[in-house]
Amino acid sequence: MVEQVIMRQDIALDDFLTIFVSSGLVLVFGGLYVGIYTAVKVELLKTWTMPIAYIFWVLTAYCLYLMGSLMHVGEFTAKALVVAAFGILLLPHAVYYMQDQVHQQNEH
Amino acid sequence: MANKFTGIGSESKQLATWYFTFAAILLGAQLVFGLVAAIQYVMPGFLFELLDFSVARMLHINALVVWMVFAMFGSVYYLLPDETGIETVGIKVGKLLYWIFVAAIVVVVLVYLFIQVGPATETSIWFIHEGREYIEAPRWADWGIVVVALGFVGNLFLTGMKGNRSGIVTVLMADMIAFAGLYLAGMFFTDNITLDQYWWWWVIHLWVEATWEVFVGSIAAYGLIQMIGASRKVVEMWLWIEVAMLFGSGILGIGHHYFWIGTPEYWWEIGALFSALEPLPLVAMFIHVMYDWGKQQGKKVAGGSDESVVANKPAFVWFWMNAFGNFLGAGIWGFFHTLPQVNLYTHGTQFTSAHGHLAFFGAYATILIGMFYLAVQGSNGIKVLKHTKASIWSISLMVGGMLGMTMALTIAGYVQVLVSRAQMGATWAGYFDGQQGMWFAQAMDWRLIMGVVMFLGFALLAKDLLTTGKNPVHER
Amino acid sequence: MAKISVWSDNRFWQRSAAWITGFAAVLLIWLTFDTAGQIAMGTDADLQAGVTKRVPGPTVINYKITYEMSTKRGHEVPVIGEKEMFFGRDDYSEEEAGALLHLGKLGSQTKNCMNCHTLLGNGAYYAPDLTKAWLDPAWQDGGTMQAMTGKSTKEEAMAEFLQHPSTYPTHSRMMPDLGITPEEAKGLVAFLKHMSSIDTNGFPRNFGRMQGAVNGK
Repeated sequence: MVEQVIMRQDIALDDFLTIFVSSGLVLVFGGLYVGIYTAVKVELLKTWTMPIAYIFWVLTAYCLYLMGSLMHVGEFTAKALVVAAFGILLLPHAVYYMQDQVHQQNEH
Repeated sequence: MANKFTGIGSESKQLATWYFTFAAILLGAQLVFGLVAAIQYVMPGFLFELLDFSVARMLHINALVVWMVFAMFGSVYYLLPDETGIETVGIKVGKLLYWIFVAAIVVVVLVYLFIQVGPATETSIWFIHEGREYIEAPRWADWGIVVVALGFVGNLFLTGMKGNRSGIVTVLMADMIAFAGLYLAGMFFTDNITLDQYWWWWVIHLWVEATWEVFVGSIAAYGLIQMIGASRKVVEMWLWIEVAMLFGSGILGIGHHYFWIGTPEYWWEIGALFSALEPLPLVAMFIHVMYDWGKQQGKKVAGGSDESVVANKPAFVWFWMNAFGNFLGAGIWGFFHTLPQVNLYTHGTQFTSAHGHLAFFGAYATILIGMFYLAVQGSNGIKVLKHTKASIWSISLMVGGMLGMTMALTIAGYVQVLVSRAQMGATWAGYFDGQQGMWFAQAMDWRLIMGVVMFLGFALLAKDLLTTGKNPVHER
Repeated sequence: MAKISVWSDNRFWQRSAAWITGFAAVLLIWLTFDTAGQIAMGTDADLQAGVTKRVPGPTVINYKITYEMSTKRGHEVPVIGEKEMFFGRDDYSEEEAGALLHLGKLGSQTKNCMNCHTLLGNGAYYAPDLTKAWLDPAWQDGGTMQAMTGKSTKEEAMAEFLQHPSTYPTHSRMMPDLGITPEEAKGLVAFLKHMSSIDTNGFPRNFGRMQGAVNGK
């Protein structure tokens, strides 16, 4: 029943630019979050920069929300976007954990 | 032709350089016909009814596909001896197939150029072209490609099974058989345009967003081991994770092509979900390159040396551009018009073109050019290949030109979305209203200018590839 | 040596990759069977019985096609209405209509339409989208394109244009002469009419809603 509404509403003309910019920024901010996190972990950056990484993740989540609400996504897509936001949050932790495990095993 | 390589695998590596050479020539042809098409946007009378846009564009995108396939085959022949520790099995057949492949392409190009269109008959489909974007090659050439691809996959399998089957070779074996097999999905005729496009996307999407991406993952793994001495264990484990992520998101990501071609509505949800996942492996690949390079360089620095760990500077920059370009072109430029709600308006506009340009260049052209440089290093017996003026300028001009074209096409796409789509709904009049907008026309001018910049970059690249091997700056 | 963790075990990831790939591929194949059934071309009997197919049979050329907002589905859908003359007839048999569509589809490929136009939104962006070209206001009675060719029906106007495109320029960017014969032109128009009857989930949106807008406002 909810999914029937999915395409009913037109996107407002003035919203297109915001949609394109925010969805581009999703990955830019997401990339910065992941990049800073990894850089801190491999000691390329100082530890105090870690909160900046998480600020970028918050911006990523906000851009996803903004983009999703302006394009009037249905319930299913909204859920997929929330999953994507948390996926980005977890991704660098998982990647770093695994890389580190392999290095530990091979170098010690 | 004298073989400059020595030792195990010298024949395979020589064949690889043949493949790379023809690939580079086709890359040049791609850029020339791209320029013709770009000029036609600005001056519609240019070569009208001599070499029309449709012909120029067909040559532009076919040269793209074929040079990449050539460079991919070459890359496999190049890395096989290093990975398996033996000379490639069936190398004589491989060389024969190479010449058959080249001859077939020359014939196809001549027919495209001088016959162009035929009557609406099956004969035209068999002998002129099939008129299906990217896989226009006539049916006779399709079968030729199948034979050549089977020979190539056969050599890869026989070599992999006889020699040391590393993780990289295992992934390539699985990936290349899927790559060759998928081509069969594009080799039939149907009156049903919806069914036609359904299977057409099996070839196009499952190539460029699944099997080709995995191929790039394997090449990047090989490159990291060769160029910065990354640990094979880490790189190969990471390759398996990438395969899982790329195929896991990419195979069903095909749904984002099934929103509007007549296929059922459930593809909206499938396409949206898997498209949202598709950028994740690209981000992950980026971290991986950064992580490995940081670790290796860190070890060197800790050992009291500030020398670079990179054994081939230009190749490494191109590989680095690949990690970045894949994320930018396939990731960002793909993601921002992929959800069905917004794709309804962007589908079939210059947005797609912007994404196509940056993604093909960022995800594939970069790493394959990197492989050209590895081959130059190998064939000249160079220990550390350094930058030359030409290599730096060619990278800057090609990357800058491509980014400029992408920005221009993105602006043009935005105008089309607002004028031709959201308001006028893709009618004939709406289409031309969008094309006549000042912003659109300006964007097309800039696209052409940036295309010329890119072409200059290519000219320098060709010069560098041909001459850098003799340059005394390198460590031998 | 540290305790081997499953997360850093090569074999674990190798198997995971194989399972994930296999699962995705099986799901895609299963969905393909379902989709193939739904997009199979309908028949003349379907059309006479008023059964809605996503891709109607070739005899749809005997009927009037419109593109209307469906409140149930929330977007525009093609609607097949009463009988309509197509090149002076509305009684094409399944074989005749099928042959015409076959010729048109072959023509659409051999004339390389897709490397300037988009069909169902796929192709090149150098010329207008052809998905709903049959329904374009410019080709209707009183439309600019029909008036320009001097023909009295839209199918004849379209066929005339296809045979002599550069005689009727609509823009400085012209369609080249592709040597299209009268019979091929008829087939191509049938192909376009058939394509406009395909249910494309509301693409393109707002088709022809606004005419003559300039610079987006």
